[in-house]
Amino acid sequence: MATNHPHASRADDGDVHVHIASTQFYWAIFGALILLTLLTVRVSYYDFGSANIIIALVVATVKASLVAAFFMHLRHDKLFNTLAFLSAFLFLAIFILLTYDDLGVRGQRRPSYTSMVDPRTGEPAPGGEPATSATSNDVQGEAPKEGSGAEKKKE
Amino acid sequence: MANVSESAQGDVAHDGHDDHAHGHPDFLQHHFDTPAQQFDASKLGMWVFIATEILMFGGLFCAYAIWRGLEPEVFDQAHHFLNKILGATNTVVLLFSSLTAALAVRSAQVGKRNATSMYLIITILCACVFLVVKYFEYSHKFHLGLLPGHCFGHPGLSASIQNGEEVGTCIRSVQGNASSVMPQWVKAVDESGNVQLLPPRANMFFGLYFVMTGLHGLHVLVGMSILTWVLIKNMRGDFSARYFTWVDLGALYWHLVDLVWIYLFPLLYLVGKPE
Amino acid sequence: MAAIDIPLVGGHADEAHGDPHANYLKAKRGIGSWMLTVDHKRIGLMYLTMVCIAFLVGGVFALLVRLELFTRGKTIVDGETYNRFFTLHGAVMVFLFIIPSVPAALGNFFLPIMIGAKDVAFPRINLLSFYIYLLGLAVILLSLVLGAVDTGWTFYTPYSVQTANSVLSMTMGVFILGFSSILTGLNFLVTVHTMRAPGVTWQRMPLFVWGMYATALIQVLATPVLAITLLLLFSERLFGIGIFDPKLGGDPVLFQHFFWFYSHPAVYIMIVPGMAINSELIATFSRRAIFGQFAIAMSSVALAILGFLVWGHHLFVAGMSEFATMVFSALTFLVAIPSGVKVFNWTATIYKGSILWASPMLYAMAFIFLFTIGGLTGLFLGTLSVDVHLTDTYFVVAHFHYVMMGGTVIAFLGGLLYWWPKMTGKMHDEKKAKIAFWFVFVGFNTVFIPQFIMGSRGMPRRYYDYLPQFEPFHKASTIGSWILAVGLFLTAYTLLEALWSGKNAPRNPWGSAGYEWMTDTPPCLANFHSTPIFTRGPYDYHLATPEELATGFDPVEDAPAAKQVAKADAKK
Repeated sequence: MATNHPHASRADDGDVHVHIASTQFYWAIFGALILLTLLTVRVSYYDFGSANIIIALVVATVKASLVAAFFMHLRHDKLFNTLAFLSAFLFLAIFILLTYDDLGVRGQRRPSYTSMVDPRTGEPAPGGEPATSATSNDVQGEAPKEGSGAEKKKE
Repeated sequence: MANVSESAQGDVAHDGHDDHAHGHPDFLQHHFDTPAQQFDASKLGMWVFIATEILMFGGLFCAYAIWRGLEPEVFDQAHHFLNKILGATNTVVLLFSSLTAALAVRSAQVGKRNATSMYLIITILCACVFLVVKYFEYSHKFHLGLLPGHCFGHPGLSASIQNGEEVGTCIRSVQGNASSVMPQWVKAVDESGNVQLLPPRANMFFGLYFVMTGLHGLHVLVGMSILTWVLIKNMRGDFSARYFTWVDLGALYWHLVDLVWIYLFPLLYLVGKPE
Repeated sequence: MAAIDIPLVGGHADEAHGDPHANYLKAKRGIGSWMLTVDHKRIGLMYLTMVCIAFLVGGVFALLVRLELFTRGKTIVDGETYNRFFTLHGAVMVFLFIIPSVPAALGNFFLPIMIGAKDVAFPRINLLSFYIYLLGLAVILLSLVLGAVDTGWTFYTPYSVQTANSVLSMTMGVFILGFSSILTGLNFLVTVHTMRAPGVTWQRMPLFVWGMYATALIQVLATPVLAITLLLLFSERLFGIGIFDPKLGGDPVLFQHFFWFYSHPAVYIMIVPGMAINSELIATFSRRAIFGQFAIAMSSVALAILGFLVWGHHLFVAGMSEFATMVFSALTFLVAIPSGVKVFNWTATIYKGSILWASPMLYAMAFIFLFTIGGLTGLFLGTLSVDVHLTDTYFVVAHFHYVMMGGTVIAFLGGLLYWWPKMTGKMHDEKKAKIAFWFVFVGFNTVFIPQFIMGSRGMPRRYYDYLPQFEPFHKASTIGSWILAVGLFLTAYTLLEALWSGKNAPRNPWGSAGYEWMTDTPPCLANFHSTPIFTRGPYDYHLATPEELATGFDPVEDAPAAKQVAKADAKK
């Protein structure tokens, strides 16, 4: 009867059957996680510019994948569980990307709109923005010259 | 109709072992047909719940991403006020607790009750260590006045400045209305004992820091409670190699807590200009 | 034909759970058996009661809003109180009524039956979600007592951060309700994946279940973002975190992004179940297999996914970057396509079908008409240049009432009338139901068509007072609200009257081939007497046996439905 069910388990007896990893395997994964943590902390002491955040995120993702695949057993589980997990990240990515395409480019103008000129008369297009404008980052707060970056000890 | 009698008996043995005489184990709930169906459903339910938690924390990561993109210098400077070593310690503690949680599940899967209890206890203890370290981090920040929002620039800030150094205007020092002035550059002593400059709007970084780690800490507390309950059930003998679902689900929740920290740690503590 | 020969197995069917073969209403008695029930049918009925009460409360606020707008200036209350009226109308209707209505009430009742299961995957979590709903309701009532919110149901910053009114308690109530919604969605997702009976393949699954599944996807993925939005709002109010405050480096438009990332998919939580009911009604009352069944199923899922991509169309004039507005406008046009697929497929189903003009069918037809108007006007609003003129006017108000009320509420009423016999075991008076329908239909259009006109002529929304040229439109709209109210009260009366003086309903009063009509009326506690195996689809009228489709009415009796069904059968 269990064979007729769309949800049938791998065995026909209806009992729960799971893949059981060895204790050494779990310790090995833990070891890898610790190594990756040490790596990411070490890298943070060097300045690779914008690559810093990419390296940090890549390492974090590798660690998260190890935890999800092996500690959380996704590797040997039903595929749909992995899909549910990954779809959360997909929708999160949509949220961040589309919100960023507003807030990240706020105040930037398409050149064609600001410099449009009527070809017949040579008049600028009505309703445009004035030539000089402040962006959202343009606020008081330049660092005072003295003391910035001074008196530092190397950790 | 004639075949109803089998399921209607319902004789219960409360030691968690199945009752072969009646053809169905007592851990099997009335609306499921087989233990495998129940287990699959429980796991899928937990994974869907994990997806919801990822989206919830994800909102905070979105706020982080947006603000980091718009105010990179705030993030570059302000993160020095977080202690990398304590953060890394917490990371190792949580990773270790994840290991013990996974081992607890493994012990339950092979029916070793005492080992399961031991691993669960270690996991809960690791959680306590995490919270203690967190307490030290937070209290250091309160002392420095690096608090979220209105509270930023607590008078304690000026006390940390060396003699004769001029202190920038803290939010609080302007008449009454806490949010009427954007904070100026402020001097403070960072985690390594250096006097650093905090850029304007550094309060944003600390606001995000406290909300993100605070929500995470709340989940650590909840995770501890769940694992404690699972431990109690395990000690009562409710679980076996045939039925260990709750150990599995509790551990999954705990791994989620670990996963969030795996991302929180680098993004808050590590990424920014090194000294 | 469903072969019903597999014995019931699994779990304890003992006195703690009640006799699985007894009528679910009678299986256990007493208030305790209802308060602590884990039977999805009872939980569905309890939800139904509460959402109807919420509908009444929200409706009363709507009547008050319209009454105030009957004349210019003050009619019954001042501007401050008026702001509270429309805020509460919106918040109560959205969070307490429409989002839970179809999934938690009808979905809870029928989803397990339609897939041949005994219950949902997690019955205790189902009960928990109901109690969380009650808690959210209590907290929202508390906010009413504490002074009520006047920010509009959208809680936009900076006003919601700065106002002294009870924003915290209202948003806390909504936060709590979000968990109820998430748990319901989680339950449905797992139930559909793991508890379908033999023969219920994904292709055969009833469209109502597909709709509930798509809705559950949205509930699970979108609602957590609402939770974090409200959490950030609390932090902003309590601690001044500054994330939405420009003076502290924040951005109030970010709140709108966060809010609408949930709230746009939320409107699909509202409409997809309504469409799902409509598919069932159209199939049954045209007595035909639904045209393009799998396409309709996929369009529900497509709506669920695409609905996540378009939230920015609520922010077109909020100060978003140009680039973002263009992206969101293009995506908004895309999301209209799955709805179009459904409307075409329903129309194709009705064409040359054998139509039974029972009251649920009247609602189903009204749905197609009213939803199409609502959907098409949404396209006007999605067009950037047009939206600049129409945004925040009554045009928007009319648009979303056409889709939410003309869509979901109409489908909800149709579904109630359709399934009332199955749920309660009593037949309602069809004549009263049809009269009530016409009051609802005429009243609804009278309320909202003037609003389209007003809006396109510039009448802003949420305004307490207005210019003289809009007065006739407002008056018409208010009179329409009274007609609508009569229709709704009459419908409620018809349904309740059936409980105490209706005839006992037969197993299948509408002659439907759907799976839920194979159970007893009302269903037994375990839904089916033994685990069913389904060997045909739920719309396969050509494969169903006459016994399955028999309405059980004596044609001699005064039952117009039976006469038409008998006539239709005689034609074949």
